[in-house]
Amino acid sequence: MVRTKGYPAALDQKLQDTRLHNDDSNPEFTKNVKAISRTTAHMCYQCGTCTGSCPSAPRSTYRIRKFMRRAVLGLENEALTDPDLWLCTTCYSCSDRCPRDIIPTDVIMAMRNLAFKRDIIPVNFLKTVQSIYKTGHGVPNNDVNRAAREKIGLSRDPPTTHMYPEYIPGIQKILDHYNLKANSDRIVKEREG
Amino acid sequence: MVEKKKTTTKKTETKKKDTKKVAPVKQEIKKQAPVKTGPSEKPRIGVFICHCGTNIAGSIDIKDLEAYAKTIPNVAHTDNYQYVCSTPGQKKITDAIRDQKLTGTVVAACSPRLHEPTFRTATKEGGLNQFRFEMANIREQNAWVHMHDKEGATDKAKDTIRIAVAKASLLEDLTPKTVPVEKAAMVVGAGIAGMQAALDLAAAGIKTYLIESAPSIGGRMSQLDKTFPTLDCSQCILTPKMVDVGRDSNIELYTYSEVDAVEGYIGNFDVTIRKKARGVLTMAEAEARGIIGGGCNGCGDCDPVCPVVKPNVFEMGMKPRKAIYINHPQVVPLLYTIDFDSCVKCGLCVTACGPERKAIDLEAKDEFIKVKVGTAILATGFELFPIEKKTEWGYKKFENVITGLEFERLICASGPTSGHLVRPSDGETPKRIAFLLCAGSRDNTGVGKPYCSRFCCMYSLKHAHQIYEKIPGAQTYIFYMDIRSFGKAYEEFYYRIQDEGTKFVRGRVANILEDPKSKNLHVYADDTLLDRPMDLEVDLVVLASAVQPSEDTNRTRKLFGVSCSMDGWLLEAHPKLNPCGTTTAGVFLAGVCQGPKDIPDTVASAEGAASAASIPIHKGEVELEPYFATCIEEKCAGCGMCVNLCPYSALALVDKDGRTVMEVTEAKCKGCGTCGGFCPGGAIWMNHFATPQIVAQIDAFLLGGEQ
Repeated sequence: MVRTKGYPAALDQKLQDTRLHNDDSNPEFTKNVKAISRTTAHMCYQCGTCTGSCPSAPRSTYRIRKFMRRAVLGLENEALTDPDLWLCTTCYSCSDRCPRDIIPTDVIMAMRNLAFKRDIIPVNFLKTVQSIYKTGHGVPNNDVNRAAREKIGLSRDPPTTHMYPEYIPGIQKILDHYNLKANSDRIVKEREG
Repeated sequence: MVEKKKTTTKKTETKKKDTKKVAPVKQEIKKQAPVKTGPSEKPRIGVFICHCGTNIAGSIDIKDLEAYAKTIPNVAHTDNYQYVCSTPGQKKITDAIRDQKLTGTVVAACSPRLHEPTFRTATKEGGLNQFRFEMANIREQNAWVHMHDKEGATDKAKDTIRIAVAKASLLEDLTPKTVPVEKAAMVVGAGIAGMQAALDLAAAGIKTYLIESAPSIGGRMSQLDKTFPTLDCSQCILTPKMVDVGRDSNIELYTYSEVDAVEGYIGNFDVTIRKKARGVLTMAEAEARGIIGGGCNGCGDCDPVCPVVKPNVFEMGMKPRKAIYINHPQVVPLLYTIDFDSCVKCGLCVTACGPERKAIDLEAKDEFIKVKVGTAILATGFELFPIEKKTEWGYKKFENVITGLEFERLICASGPTSGHLVRPSDGETPKRIAFLLCAGSRDNTGVGKPYCSRFCCMYSLKHAHQIYEKIPGAQTYIFYMDIRSFGKAYEEFYYRIQDEGTKFVRGRVANILEDPKSKNLHVYADDTLLDRPMDLEVDLVVLASAVQPSEDTNRTRKLFGVSCSMDGWLLEAHPKLNPCGTTTAGVFLAGVCQGPKDIPDTVASAEGAASAASIPIHKGEVELEPYFATCIEEKCAGCGMCVNLCPYSALALVDKDGRTVMEVTEAKCKGCGTCGGFCPGGAIWMNHFATPQIVAQIDAFLLGGEQ
């Protein structure tokens, strides 16, 4: 970027040109999102039914409609580097109501996939991967839960990998097939040392 | 008679394969049996290739194509021109026919739907029978779809021309058939479209049968309070027309009636009308029964004594009516109707009506009346899409969520609340009102309708205005995606409504929840311009519900043989150039049954349909394309299997010279070829699509020009 003569760096940053330029759009991004999400993201007409339905939106800066717009325009960098991408709870309320019959939730999932290819992912997501690799659960059972389960007459552990740990290697095999564990370990190490 | 003569000529043709060249047949000779001529000694075909500017020439190599055309057997002349459909282009055809002594013409250009009539006329002017022309479509089905493959497109065009030449070499002279047209018309549906069409036809001196399934005329427009953008009262501008319809001596009005059956074809439709049992006699009907001075005069003495109470459909169920009823005070005709589904036949109304009027007949039955008409107009209108199917907005679940049509009745001075807009839950005057546009329209989920319902934007603007007219201090919100104010003075109206204080929120409402105590509504949406989700508390929500074809449209259209598009709207012959016509000759469309329209467009469409429907009637006769099936009687075994296959009931078995053979009613035959393709004995000859002609086309394609 060309520095404006005599301006301090912060002001220079503030005054930079934020207009949308031709080369901000990557048509391949629109195609990739469509291919991965298997939904017609490019058909969004920006009515806002998705954000209006979103339980995350009123309490955060997450705007699903904005991501749909980025999918339409192919704004790859803007979409993938926005930390809001990771605020979707995947409740699918937007997908239930979208009048264009798009599945915005799956558009978000596609974008997350593309972001992960560029190592863009919050560490807590990676720790979930590590936990699944270790226990078969994203949120493993704990003693508070076990006590509560016992109180209402359930077994201490649910009939999952907790009760049948012999199935954990199978899960590990799947995650290894996609190098998910190795990549997670690598990125966590890079960020946290 | 006609068939017989033709089959004999057919026989001659098969026997003597080569007769000498036939002189051009004068087309002015009507009613004469078509002279079937066999292929001349040597067919001489002229091929004319059109550039269509760059439409064709841009993706097809015209030079290469013409050079190839010269090599096709039977081709005696070739030419190309920038626009063959232009006057100089047509002159090339007529001149070549004369100079080159052509026996047939092929024009390689656009779709026959566009210019077949043009080139037929040119062929006729050159001195040939107009059916000696064959069109090779190298534009829509070639140049336009293969615009990135010039070589492939040129190869395909060569095939297309070779196939067309093969057929043109075997084409025969045919004569269009003319049939007389009955000087009467029918209009189905007496809303504003049907009324306007009937009034126009009647004014043009045509006897018109106007059929309406409701007890009175006026349709949806009579339910409206005011009309946009002029804000004149709907009833005030409609009632004079309703009265005119009732009075016009050329209009025979059948209310509370339906079309039961339709037979025949353009010029000669035999229509059976079912007059539903009404239980009340008009004055004329009473007189016919010898009750002089009797019949219903609309006094209403029967109404208060009737013990049965039902919801009034005209008032969207917001007002009661009796089992004997009129919908509203201004009905035309002013005639009561008994709803026999709810009548308990107690007879109290008969007593109230009295022995002099004797207007009530509790034993009435449906009556069937047959009429003959030359043309018919369908004006079957619309109804609201059942918006409760979009569950997120809570219609029929939350009391204070209503539709636009319910709003019309609530704000109308003659409505159930005498024009006081109130909340259904508590009768209070609402102060905060939200209007939801595109409620069920522009919806691709399969629940709503994919199309724009077209008039909801404007009536919602008008509703917002009416609130400010009647409720001081109110606040209205319009939730929209786009405001489609496309008509004359509509955008100005939008400006005015915004100036009056309506807040326009650009966002589609995600869902609505009800406060169980106050019955107020929480509207959840994304203000997309502010990029902020909102939760707006309002007292009343009005849904601008999508519209769909009225309930009976599908049954009626099938009777008249009219197609519909995927969404149920009736299909016009051409969306731009023939919006009132249908693919069934003699049947026309008026108003919303063809697609959503506001009142000005509906009236314009009705006047267009009336004009189109009056043309064949004034002309007195119509020409039918001679594409009908003919029976080669000596081959026909009289098995009759074709008779049941015919979708148009055009075939019948008759006894001729001691044998049973099939006979075609030419005017009913649409030339679909179902019978011809099926006939096990090969005894059916399809004019212009005969087996030898089609086989020659297939051969030309498969053999690549080798004989």
